[in-house]
Amino acid sequence: MSKQIQIDDAQGYLDRLIRELHVLGKDGQQPLVRVLEYVSRHISSTREEIGALRPDGVSLSSTADELEEILSETARAANEIMTAAESVERVAEGMEPCVRDTLQAAATRIYEASAFQDITGQRITKVVRALQHIEARVDVLTKACGIVTKMPAEAIGDKALLNGPQLSCNAATQSEIDSLFASVEHPS
Amino acid sequence: MSLDKNMRVLIVDDYNTMLRILRNLLRQLDINNVEEATDGEKALDIMRRQPCDLVISDWNMAPMTGIELLRNVRSDERLRRTPFIMVTAESKTENVITAKQAGVSNYIVKPFNAETLRNKIESVFVRH
Repeated sequence: MSKQIQIDDAQGYLDRLIRELHVLGKDGQQPLVRVLEYVSRHISSTREEIGALRPDGVSLSSTADELEEILSETARAANEIMTAAESVERVAEGMEPCVRDTLQAAATRIYEASAFQDITGQRITKVVRALQHIEARVDVLTKACGIVTKMPAEAIGDKALLNGPQLSCNAATQSEIDSLFASVEHPS
Repeated sequence: MSLDKNMRVLIVDDYNTMLRILRNLLRQLDINNVEEATDGEKALDIMRRQPCDLVISDWNMAPMTGIELLRNVRSDERLRRTPFIMVTAESKTENVITAKQAGVSNYIVKPFNAETLRNKIESVFVRH
């Protein structure tokens, strides 16, 4: 199997060729040298742009994870809302007709509104698929360009405490937080 | 028009929230004999074991979509007369035409309200 030449290898060969043409110093080579220098600069700037596609080391797949978390959280919320509406309907059955009808109509509006989760879920799924596709293409480009993604410098001080909600698989429960809290001594 | 409260309805959707919404809205119409499936294949299995009086199905599901389910139902000699309502976020003209040509009984676009669901179910049974 032939060795696939990386773009950074190709740029290396190109830059070497440019240097050798400069050394030769033949005037007739000048337009060619200018074109080759232009191509070399273009490759460099393209590699920088591709390298910058992952700002601050954030991967697209972690963004997709956050979106999928939205899906499951909205499903949980919609189900909680409907459980409450079902309770209202059960209570309404034993009430006077005018009260019963009002409560049942309210429960119906809650069921109708809960369908938001289906629509948003479908939209989010489309976005997640698009992100996964883009991530795959960026990976291919990154490897082809021989780019090593730099890890961001670690945040320090209060900035290191700004992380937003954790994914549910990583998040601590309230009782774990309570145990940790109890174990930390108050400053005297 | 009053609906047959004993009719057996199969609701098909890959979102559990939507299944729950449909079940609750059908219960408000006094329709309580409701079966659920999360995709077309499972729905077809249920129908082949025991035919239903009405199918209410989403379109976008895997491994079998709602339109594939509809085509399978309409090509099955035992099932082909089953009233079939598509309830879906797919709202392009091509979708509606395709579903109609495949033999759908009615078409509801999400999000929908309880009155639309009731009207579409009633209209299917008036025709049938």
